[in-house]
Amino acid sequence: MEIRDESIGGTSVVTAIGRLDGGASAAFAEKIGGLIANPNPNLLIDLTGVDFVTSAGLRAVLLLVKKVKAIGGSFALCGVQESVREVLDIAGFTAMLDIYPARAGAIAAMTG
Amino acid sequence: MTSSQARFEASILATPEAISDLTERIMTFLDARGVEDRPTHHTALILEEILINLGMHGDCRHHPARVAITVEPEKVTGEIVDVGPPFDPRLAPDPSIDVAPGDRPIGGLGLYLVKKLSCSFEYARRNGENCTAFAVSRGDISEEGEAK
Repeated sequence: MEIRDESIGGTSVVTAIGRLDGGASAAFAEKIGGLIANPNPNLLIDLTGVDFVTSAGLRAVLLLVKKVKAIGGSFALCGVQESVREVLDIAGFTAMLDIYPARAGAIAAMTG
Repeated sequence: MTSSQARFEASILATPEAISDLTERIMTFLDARGVEDRPTHHTALILEEILINLGMHGDCRHHPARVAITVEPEKVTGEIVDVGPPFDPRLAPDPSIDVAPGDRPIGGLGLYLVKKLSCSFEYARRNGENCTAFAVSRGDISEEGEAK
């Protein structure tokens, strides 16, 4: 899995590309977790390039959510493909996470 | 298409990297046989979850599991046979999915996804082996996105 990060208007935006499965989830959680350092962080993960998420990937996302929430930050996803959305729905993640169609709208909502 | 052309068989040590490689090969196999995107995705996801579970809790990082995927007109079926200790994956407790992130336990989602995405999920212990089988419907998709 390819992971790129950038800061846009005070929000850490992570672009993930590839499969978020058992082979990639540990590195995904470790790399993105390393970006969560300051209090009240805004973390947005763009999943436009991710078409396969397993329970290992969901666990990684949940770990990041817990870490961000624990220090008063905001967490959101954007660009979720239909196949991934179905998995998030079943796991109850769509009810507990902020999910936006596209990056621009997500950043506006998180920083507005 | 002959029946042999519609069947995929492999043996695998259940490491995360090997499982990722296998499920990608199976998705390619299913795509080449005209299986629709949604059942292809579900088949790969279910197989990955079962194998990851075997790798973590069974003995399949040292003794390979046998995997077979068969394409039928109405469904895709999968069989996984392993020599680990007896384990019926259907009996795994479902996780609590309606709690706040801070209170939500980590884990327990894999076999829950298998139960939700399969149209049948079976287990038997035969000749000292765990035999786990599942099926994914290739049926029409309703407006709500559920397979009929």
